[in-house]
Amino acid sequence: MNDKSTWAFGTRQVVYGAIGAALYGVFSWATNIFPLPAAGNVTFRPAVAVLIFFGAAYGPWVGLLAGFIGNTLGDALSGWGFYWNWSLGNGLMGMVAGLAMAAIKDFRAQADIIKAVGWGLAGIVVGMLFASLTEMITGGIDLNTALIGYFTPAVIGNAVVTIILVPILMIAFAAVAAGRGR
Amino acid sequence: MLVTWKYRRRNTIIQRLDPRTRLVFFVFVILALTIPDIWDLRIILPLFAVSLTLFLLSRIEWKDIRRILPYMFILVFFIVGLNGLLSGRGGPSSVTNLPSPVVFEVPIKIPFTDIGWDIPITVSKMWFAITQITRMFTMAMLVIPIPYTMDPNIYGTAFKRMGASDKVSFTMDLAFRFLPTFARDFTITMDAQRARGYELEKLKGGLVGRLQRLAPLIIPVVMQSTVTGEEVIDAMDLRAFGTKPRTWLRDNLKYAGRDYVLLGLGVAIFILCCVLKWGFGIGGYFVPEFFLNLFV
Repeated sequence: MNDKSTWAFGTRQVVYGAIGAALYGVFSWATNIFPLPAAGNVTFRPAVAVLIFFGAAYGPWVGLLAGFIGNTLGDALSGWGFYWNWSLGNGLMGMVAGLAMAAIKDFRAQADIIKAVGWGLAGIVVGMLFASLTEMITGGIDLNTALIGYFTPAVIGNAVVTIILVPILMIAFAAVAAGRGR
Repeated sequence: MLVTWKYRRRNTIIQRLDPRTRLVFFVFVILALTIPDIWDLRIILPLFAVSLTLFLLSRIEWKDIRRILPYMFILVFFIVGLNGLLSGRGGPSSVTNLPSPVVFEVPIKIPFTDIGWDIPITVSKMWFAITQITRMFTMAMLVIPIPYTMDPNIYGTAFKRMGASDKVSFTMDLAFRFLPTFARDFTITMDAQRARGYELEKLKGGLVGRLQRLAPLIIPVVMQSTVTGEEVIDAMDLRAFGTKPRTWLRDNLKYAGRDYVLLGLGVAIFILCCVLKWGFGIGGYFVPEFFLNLFV
């Protein structure tokens, strides 16, 4: 199912990095068209689950590329522009989630699903913390606004989406991979 | 197809620029505003004028941006501007630390009680909101035209020529090529699910239920893409991808005189902002006398 060398960067990583980025871009754009309202300024981006899944399935380089390029594409498609720190934060989110790859043997096993979700949550914290703190430099906000206004809502929204959708994606992926025999 | 790139050939001076020039110039403007921490509207306004000029030179039609601009205005005016006006936060500490006359107070209280706060709106906060809005628009207006005016097929080449590796550049290029395909797959899946009675606009139930019900839209597209990926990998491996330097790079990406002019302008803006701030102490936040006099 996977090439288990975590830090390899070959054709597989190039292709799945691109696919992950395109999917992340499309789903981010779609979320903007059909927003999922939530409490306060917390918004849900189901695309994040796809990013975490690609990291867990194909490794940290794929997660990094999918997050960075995908966020850039999603922002560009929605007309927001380019925010390098949020794109890099999304890349870090996918990269840390990708560290789960070597530990996952069966995408259907409960323990492996928990590992993927756990690394995904760690990735969300690292990525969103980076993006929120660098916003102090790029946007000139203070620490309170960075942590309360940006970091907390982003982590809550992304964590909920990851916990709910990543297990579904992993079980579906196990079925597809078993069917293809690779 | 749901998504096609909004890019169109327009025969404008902006489109005749090398794509690298535009990306590098954008980076210089961001660095000029953020590294020396510029909050002086006398410096931001000329930069805003440069951004606005480049935006207008892009000659993007109104019909292309009419859905995006309201988002931008809501974000900048109501979220950033209002936040600056009420809290004075989002900028240097001098906005709230320096003594400034109170113009009026905004009561934020629990209805029918006296529990809450009266938030003072000072002259300093008002000037800061104007500065913050202008600063954000200065940066945003350089980026908005990119999807409309830069050929998507040239992104990979541009990044390669800017120093990215073959593999990273090709990932970039491939992502742009996959994008319309997956957008089309997403549309087909959405239509197919609707035909089966799936009501996208009426996602009822709690949060968990709502997110779970998105699975019929997301799973088919993602799983199909993993299958497609294996086929693309096989095709690329058969063509010995990654064994030798790439041959797909375009040769027609060359800097012209106009590129050097814009790059020079970018460098000059960055150096000027640094010199003004660190050499002459100009560029920090302050409220001009005329604005103060309007309220005192």
